[in-house]
Amino acid sequence: MKVRVLSIPVQNQDNALTFYTEILGFIKKLDIPLTEDNRWLTVVSKEQPDGPEVLLEPAPKDFEPAKTYQKALFRAGIPYAQFDVESVQDEYERLTKLNVDFTVKPTDIGTARIAVFNDTCGNLIQIAQLI
Amino acid sequence: MTYYEKEIMRISNSCFSNDRQIETVICTRTYIDNNFNKELNLNFLSYIGFASKFHLLRIFKKYYGLTPKQYLISKRIIESKKLLKSGMTVTESCYHVGFETPSSFSTLFKSRTGLTPSRYQKEQLSQSEL
Repeated sequence: MKVRVLSIPVQNQDNALTFYTEILGFIKKLDIPLTEDNRWLTVVSKEQPDGPEVLLEPAPKDFEPAKTYQKALFRAGIPYAQFDVESVQDEYERLTKLNVDFTVKPTDIGTARIAVFNDTCGNLIQIAQLI
Repeated sequence: MTYYEKEIMRISNSCFSNDRQIETVICTRTYIDNNFNKELNLNFLSYIGFASKFHLLRIFKKYYGLTPKQYLISKRIIESKKLLKSGMTVTESCYHVGFETPSSFSTLFKSRTGLTPSRYQKEQLSQSEL
């Protein structure tokens, strides 16, 4: 078994694609039409184009429990996913300039530095680095 | 303050309250990151980190989930991948990142990536040609 795809629930796939590519810097990998308004839409890290794909999954749009779960996590401030970065501080500064809203500013916790931002698609995302 | 922020603080206070230990392991990791291509062993790392060998081994594993040696190997493998991708030969990459013999390099590389260094390099170079 291999890890190929991990999913992040998004409320709107077009907006999610814009945020994950233009703001975060991911690259679109697959965009396959499925139903009228849903696609199999994945992005990958620019640094790992052959690494695991992130599926921008429209579950909260059509499946009520997914929406409920997503909202509950968001309200509690809990990140849905985590991405590794070279420098949390640099990413925080870069993303802040692009008007990304952080719920947790760069914070050291033991041997890790983390920060959490709003992906504008219904989720909080954590960035982390080992220190 | 959100539930998550409270949890971060709680975990920080309960698991990461020993500043001295954290400083020691961070210094050790930084040293490994900057000197991975040199001959490093636990004796030396404990000397520069001012901790006994077994204490350093225990606390490094506690905070990073790996022993210093396991961390060093994983760092060398990551760096060797970059060199192989750039076209450097397997043998040159092996010595460049601090492994002592190509055979131990190949064994460790395969056990961690699932591919031999030469196979990995072939795949990477063929992908970059596409």
